[in-house]
Amino acid sequence: MSFGKWLSLGVGLVAAVLTAVFLFLDPTPPLPIWGNGVSIRIGIAGVFGGLIGLAHWLVMSRFNAELRRLTCHVEVLTKSDVSDLTLEPGMGLAPLALAVEQGMQHLRQRTQKLVSKRRELEIQLRIAEAERRHAEAVLNSIADAVLVTDAFNELALANKAAASVLNFDLGFSRRRPIDEVLDDRALVKLIKDTREGAPSVANLRRHVEHRLTRNGREHVYDVTVAGIGGDAADSEAAAGDGHDALGVVTVIRDVTREREIAEMKSDFVSSVSHELRTPLSSIKAYVEMLVDGEAHDEQTRAEFYNIIQSETNRLSRLIDNILNISRIESGVVRVQREQVSLPSLIREAIDVMLPQARARNIELKDVSAPVFFQVFADKDMVYQATLNLLGNAIKYTPKGGRVTTSIVVDEAARVVRVSVQDTGVGIPPEDVPHLFEKFYRVHQHKKLAQGTGLGLNLVKQIIETVHGGTMTVASEPGKGSSFTYSLPLADNI
Amino acid sequence: MTDKKPLILVVDDETHILHVVSLKLRNAGYEVITAENGEEGFDQAVANHPSLIITDFQMPFMSGLEMCQRLKDDPRTTDVRALMLTARGFSLPQEALDKTNIVNVLSKPFSPKEILARVQELLGKATAPVVRRAS
Repeated sequence: MSFGKWLSLGVGLVAAVLTAVFLFLDPTPPLPIWGNGVSIRIGIAGVFGGLIGLAHWLVMSRFNAELRRLTCHVEVLTKSDVSDLTLEPGMGLAPLALAVEQGMQHLRQRTQKLVSKRRELEIQLRIAEAERRHAEAVLNSIADAVLVTDAFNELALANKAAASVLNFDLGFSRRRPIDEVLDDRALVKLIKDTREGAPSVANLRRHVEHRLTRNGREHVYDVTVAGIGGDAADSEAAAGDGHDALGVVTVIRDVTREREIAEMKSDFVSSVSHELRTPLSSIKAYVEMLVDGEAHDEQTRAEFYNIIQSETNRLSRLIDNILNISRIESGVVRVQREQVSLPSLIREAIDVMLPQARARNIELKDVSAPVFFQVFADKDMVYQATLNLLGNAIKYTPKGGRVTTSIVVDEAARVVRVSVQDTGVGIPPEDVPHLFEKFYRVHQHKKLAQGTGLGLNLVKQIIETVHGGTMTVASEPGKGSSFTYSLPLADNI
Repeated sequence: MTDKKPLILVVDDETHILHVVSLKLRNAGYEVITAENGEEGFDQAVANHPSLIITDFQMPFMSGLEMCQRLKDDPRTTDVRALMLTARGFSLPQEALDKTNIVNVLSKPFSPKEILARVQELLGKATAPVVRRAS
């Protein structure tokens, strides 16, 4: 039995007891037809109590039903978005229902506003997060190292390149003082000075060359430091007020390779200039001597003509080297293949280089067997490659030395190998892998002879790029070098 | 009795240049000795104390500039003047030249006549021009 029923029973009992007390206190005897007066009184009290209890139960049941309806209504209003649900409860609960409904309406409106605001904030957060990720991705895609410090000289932003170049942990460095993040005191000072010295608009951005040693090798960096001064107007205002910058953006670009290339180009121009002017000097001087009649006999004149011819050839070879490398690299070279007899080509090359070898008292010898080997190649190009190899061999062989050419046919591999061997100074092992690079010159050879660093590069390009052959070198410092090129035999092409 | 011919040392690693300059100077009456690199040139200058040195700039083992610096620093040759030939496309730095006795720099390609004119300016004309035949 529920609490309400017990309560109604209680109320009925109390009413019966009170009625009985009232009847027993009444001096008037009950009606005679009722018999015993005590029984009648108790009976009346019982019936009256029962009626009161029943009435109480009925009223409470109705009240509880109305309360349950109101509760359900409030629950519906709370749980759903329905705002026009109307209720007219009885038992005098209508004002309460109205007050609750108005309260709920107000609450609902506030909740809707908050939900709307929350959604707006969530969208803004997502946009901000996406923008942050995008900015981070952009920053990390920049090959140059980028650092951004704030007005407190703390690291606000940095990319992976910066962490790599300056050797710090990107994850643990944000919002930490820059002098704790970077070991490079000079760079820290530069950043701090820029922030403090930025008031002058003219000083807002500047470039500084900075050198750092990484993996045991010195790198040259172009460091751009720029004070952050807000927009232009703010910057000028800040400048006028003498305030520090809001932060500093530092961009560090590795220019080591650019510097090396610039140096190589400068060396190249200097070398080419020297190489061109040297034979030109001889030609001009000997021509002038002939014109001025200072060659007094036929033999001297013949000697002068030979020198002029030899130096003209030398000049021509140099120009050919430069032009051919340029042509091969740009892909515009015209290759004219024909049946080429290598023994006769080598003989021609030796004849041309003989004066140069004799001038240095170097024996120039061909030990090839007199066999007719043919390759299908561009004769002029292979001739030039051979001349370059002979020229180098003569140049780097001390006086009294020997340069030997030979041809070997490898029937199994269907190739012919031409070697130019010298008794020269040889090449240090560390230089061998770089020998065929453009402009590369063996450091120890720079003092021995002039050169442009183009000759061997051209040989390799002619043999490998143009003819699909191979180029190899074997060398022992102090004993000599052997350069060998292999070309496919004619019937193999 | 004839005056002693001025002695000129010509230093160049290019045999043809060495030959033609020597011939021009000999034909003009000067006595000429030659060397093919800086080291050899230095030794020749110390041994013979020439009146003038004509040297190339860029040479194996020791450059002309280095040779001239060493010659100026050496008390035996500190007064020997030099004329430099260079095939480099730019002028030599003055501070480097100041450390030497180089009095003139000529650019390659050069004219033998011009070299002779500079030599005569510095040494005066040779007193007994002798025409020698090149061999």
